[in-house]
Amino acid sequence: MKKTLSKDPTNVIITGVGGQGNVLASRVLAGMLVNAGYYVTIGETFGMSQRGGSVMSHLRISEKSVMSPQIPWGRADIVVALEPVEALRVLTKYGNPDVAVLANSRVVYPVGVITGELDYPSIEEMQNALKRISAKSWSIDATGEAVKLGNPVLSNVIMVGALCATNLLPIDHKSFEEEIAKKMTPDKRRINLLAFDAGAKMI
Amino acid sequence: MNCSSELENKIVKTGLCTSCGACQGLCPYWLSHRGKTIQMFSCDREEGRCYAFCPRTKTDLAKLREEFFPDADYIPEIGPFYGLYMTRAADADIRAKSQHGGTTTALVELAMRKGLIDAAILTDAKGGVNPKGVLVKKPQDVRKYSGSSFQIPPVLATLNKALEENRYKKIGVVGTPCKTLAVYKMKSRPFPDNDGNAGNIGMVFGLFCGWGLDWEGLEKLVQRHAAGKQLEHMDILPSKFHQMVLKTSKKQMEVPLEEIYPIVKGSCNYCVDMTAEFSDISVGGARSSEGWDVDQGWNQVIVRTEKGVKLIDLARKEGILEFKAVAESNLEKIKQASLNKKKTGLKNLRKLSGSKNNLIYLNPDEPGIEKACVDMA
Amino acid sequence: MSKLLSPANNEVLFMGNEAIARGALEAGVNVAAGYPGTPSSEIIETLATVVKERNLYVEWSTNEKVSLEVAAAASFAGLRSLCVMKQNGVNVASDFLLHLTASGTRGGMVLVTCEDPGALSSVNEGESRYFARMLEIPLLEPANFQEAKDLTKWAFELSEKIRNVVILRSVTRMSHASGNVICGKLPTKSRKALFEYKGSIMDQLRGPVISTPVVIKHALQQEKLKKAVALFENSPFNTYSGPAKPELLLITSSACFLYSQEAISMLNLQKRVGILKLGCTWPPPPQLLKKHLKSTGKVLIVEEILPFLEENVKALAAGMAEDIGIKKYYGKMDGTLPAVGELNPDLVAEGLGKILKVKYKSQPPGYVKEMEKIIPMIPKREQTFCPGCPHRASFWNMHNALQLDGREGFVCGDIGCYALAALYPSCGFDTVRTLHSMGSGTGIASGFAKLGQFGFEKPVIAVCGDSTFYHAAIPALINAQHNRADITFIVLDNSGTAMTGFQPHPGLTVGAAGESVPAIDIAGICEAIGAKVAISDPFDLEKTCGLLTDFLAEEGCVKVLILRQKCALSPEKKGKKQFLMKVDEERCRGEECGCNRLCTRIFRCPALVWDRIKKKAVIDDVICAGCGVCYSICPQKAIIRTEAKQK
Repeated sequence: MKKTLSKDPTNVIITGVGGQGNVLASRVLAGMLVNAGYYVTIGETFGMSQRGGSVMSHLRISEKSVMSPQIPWGRADIVVALEPVEALRVLTKYGNPDVAVLANSRVVYPVGVITGELDYPSIEEMQNALKRISAKSWSIDATGEAVKLGNPVLSNVIMVGALCATNLLPIDHKSFEEEIAKKMTPDKRRINLLAFDAGAKMI
Repeated sequence: MNCSSELENKIVKTGLCTSCGACQGLCPYWLSHRGKTIQMFSCDREEGRCYAFCPRTKTDLAKLREEFFPDADYIPEIGPFYGLYMTRAADADIRAKSQHGGTTTALVELAMRKGLIDAAILTDAKGGVNPKGVLVKKPQDVRKYSGSSFQIPPVLATLNKALEENRYKKIGVVGTPCKTLAVYKMKSRPFPDNDGNAGNIGMVFGLFCGWGLDWEGLEKLVQRHAAGKQLEHMDILPSKFHQMVLKTSKKQMEVPLEEIYPIVKGSCNYCVDMTAEFSDISVGGARSSEGWDVDQGWNQVIVRTEKGVKLIDLARKEGILEFKAVAESNLEKIKQASLNKKKTGLKNLRKLSGSKNNLIYLNPDEPGIEKACVDMA
Repeated sequence: MSKLLSPANNEVLFMGNEAIARGALEAGVNVAAGYPGTPSSEIIETLATVVKERNLYVEWSTNEKVSLEVAAAASFAGLRSLCVMKQNGVNVASDFLLHLTASGTRGGMVLVTCEDPGALSSVNEGESRYFARMLEIPLLEPANFQEAKDLTKWAFELSEKIRNVVILRSVTRMSHASGNVICGKLPTKSRKALFEYKGSIMDQLRGPVISTPVVIKHALQQEKLKKAVALFENSPFNTYSGPAKPELLLITSSACFLYSQEAISMLNLQKRVGILKLGCTWPPPPQLLKKHLKSTGKVLIVEEILPFLEENVKALAAGMAEDIGIKKYYGKMDGTLPAVGELNPDLVAEGLGKILKVKYKSQPPGYVKEMEKIIPMIPKREQTFCPGCPHRASFWNMHNALQLDGREGFVCGDIGCYALAALYPSCGFDTVRTLHSMGSGTGIASGFAKLGQFGFEKPVIAVCGDSTFYHAAIPALINAQHNRADITFIVLDNSGTAMTGFQPHPGLTVGAAGESVPAIDIAGICEAIGAKVAISDPFDLEKTCGLLTDFLAEEGCVKVLILRQKCALSPEKKGKKQFLMKVDEERCRGEECGCNRLCTRIFRCPALVWDRIKKKAVIDDVICAGCGVCYSICPQKAIIRTEAKQK
């Protein structure tokens, strides 16, 4: 595991569609980093904004202080997307040539696509686009892996596991284990650890 | 063209819709509620059976006649013609419950017994209020549904569903002129690849019709005159009586026609067909020169196709119908009454379109229409 | 152990709302009451988890006004109390608030209002800072997570010093954001409730608590406010950072402070711009402002929603113009900052750039160019009802019944997720034509129904959620019945205050802290009012649409239809499918079918998608909640449902 931040602050955006477990992912990740001694600021919205819409959590990790809960445009360092088109959407505003992107390849169609009014890009188109607008990108089928583990809801934890394995942040399996020991009941820990490790293996 | 919104805007909203139900039972977009035809959601199809079957969308009647009545004589006032009869059901039980002479009930029952049809789309009149279409599968059930309703239920929705189901291959349909025209539009298979099993339509029994009544209007009228009572029958007497009668099991109420005219269904004003010109056989109350008192309890029957001939001959042979000599003047009388209806319809269509030559769904060259035009001019 | 009870000096990641709750605990709060509303709900929610450990009384009240009354009683009895709501809740509570500020309080009492600039989860961009000015009470605004805790604690002390209620205002980006907070001490003693009322009417601590004699007590109230200003002058919550004589003085409060700091560093303006951050914003401390205004010629006020701070600074500056000289002011009023919507670091940077002529680009030009090619391929993602949402079925029924009725009737909407039924393209059967505040749909419907004499003939439906029913719909329903307003009133009963996170309400048998309480029956109330009442399951489309169609046709009384089905996200339902859904590919006729893609084009459940290759409908099993409703809408019966085995 890396011991320090490569940039202060390091700005992480976790994005997805309402109901995918964005908030849990950001909380777990933030908890792991707070345990490691960092200042973490999370910015997010919930409530009605979740219903089928795009959701975003901003995480800012610093050794010095808390920050604005909204990351300035063009300043994301890492984007974790639970849904692929949401990765692109976030990058339009917050992307820059140095950004690293980890995206779940499983799509959730917007209502406009379901009705047939809008088109949804193909996986290849999205992956090509990602390559052009990021320094590094990974695309994994976290949902498929979660279904194998018995519950699609675990895709968020799989993504956290994968993020750890990218070595972009000073966190590892142990920090996850510590954090969920605080947050989850023992019966839930086992499956979440499995999900975390499954995600780590996908990188 | 978006067929569904065209139907909504040009037919339903303009008041031309007859509520026949031809557009229904095909998709989730068209339904009927309390006599009104309702578009449930917007549909973006360019063409559809809803529009093609509607009796009030533009129709080439001459072409339809050519296809389905190639050998019949053609009388411009009353359509294809093989003969005019005066009949009534031989079975007194049928007569007792029927509107006039029970001819339609007897003929449908016979057709089903003899395998000319294997099911029938009828109207469950329920004494005249809240009628609905029914699919009758056994000959002995036919007579349960005799008697008329002046509210117009979307009977053809029931037909469309029965055709889709594809269980019965020779379905008979009984209906007023607007409905039977729609049935022939179905039979003409406007979309050969998507004909909804139109080949399963067996015989078409037309009913003479002057006009129907507005659903809610009739409901309110019944409420006014027979609140809370179960009606068994209603009828409109010949014009000299100037009345409608409502009957319960215990009593009869007379309603002056002044109360009826305002509730005549709006779309009936645009109708030019009194005798159900598109049918194998059509049946109405008798209106002969001998007068209603004499003819009460009898029907007039116009036979229009060979199938119709076959059925009426069978009825005679089997003694299902009683026949009465038809006075010579009867045909003229029917022709005149029918022409009068065409003239009223024309006048109203011209008013609606705002132009003498725009008859909306009709072709001015249609011989019956031409005749009415000449007569009016 | 709850994170909320972390020992003193521990550093914890708190959400703003948790920090506020912790601050209240450190102040020794005894009673907390509120009504759920995003972004405020977590304050009461988290306090409810420690009622036993901290001997608290916590309740979700029927509405905001009642919650303020409940909290006031605790204060009158010498206890410390907290009352929590979202911005528009203050409007609901304001009648009582007016009188409360006039009578004054005893034990420390803090009204927390969490506001929503940009209306991220609201149907208004309301602002309640003006209430503090209008009702002459102090206003505090925390600018970071530590302050959210510390300022809350101090607010109780201030309230007790001046014997009046204090408003603490947060915003979504504070309440729902999280950051490191160092905990303080939790008190070890709890207070005893004692309400004294035998003293003189002028005795604030021992007399009856009333607002008369009005004029005398009004003067007293203003004295209290002066006391508060004196404390504000030297408050550690008002801070300045920057050069002694800045080229530009930036005055700000709340989350805007964090944006401003960030913007200054983005533009490298640390040596040119100073930030005066105010934690105590009403009344603004004049001496402190005088000192800083004197130091500069240019002033930028950074705040969200209305130019409250800007007005106050300008008014003070006008009064001290002789001493401070002429300044150039920037802010919302001159258009330097947007007049509406929420701010962020970039918008503040843009304002700063305009004033100080600094150029800033968030993305390099080459990157922007590449992005321009990608943007067109990103489909918009609109909000919609969740998979399995009872509202989708309920509004489907309403739409169909209104269509069948044929008189172009409509629905007066209300506040809840069901507001989505007003928005295209969240569903293909939108019917909601008015949408305002809680309970207002019913009042508006009642009004529409009385317009018959002016030729109005459309039938009117009013909807409200179960929680809204108790909150504000009952008076409107009584109004409709009493005035013979012929409406159909639908209660969308999904067994909880679902949009804000399933807080209990008076219809349920559990209280805020999980205690057992009696439920108040909606049907019983409606029947007592004299309405005709029916109950149906919205998933039973045939029955519900039939009932509704009959109700619309029936004239002469108020009809109430209670549509009962739990929210798909409720803890009882989430992750459990009642049915396993599948599309039978043989039966689905795809684009050939006369259905014209009813399921995907109109019904629009996120789990029911159109396979563009097969040209048929398919169920996305990962998204499907298994409600089974789509089974009833397919005319081909191509959507198959089988009862799922319950784990």
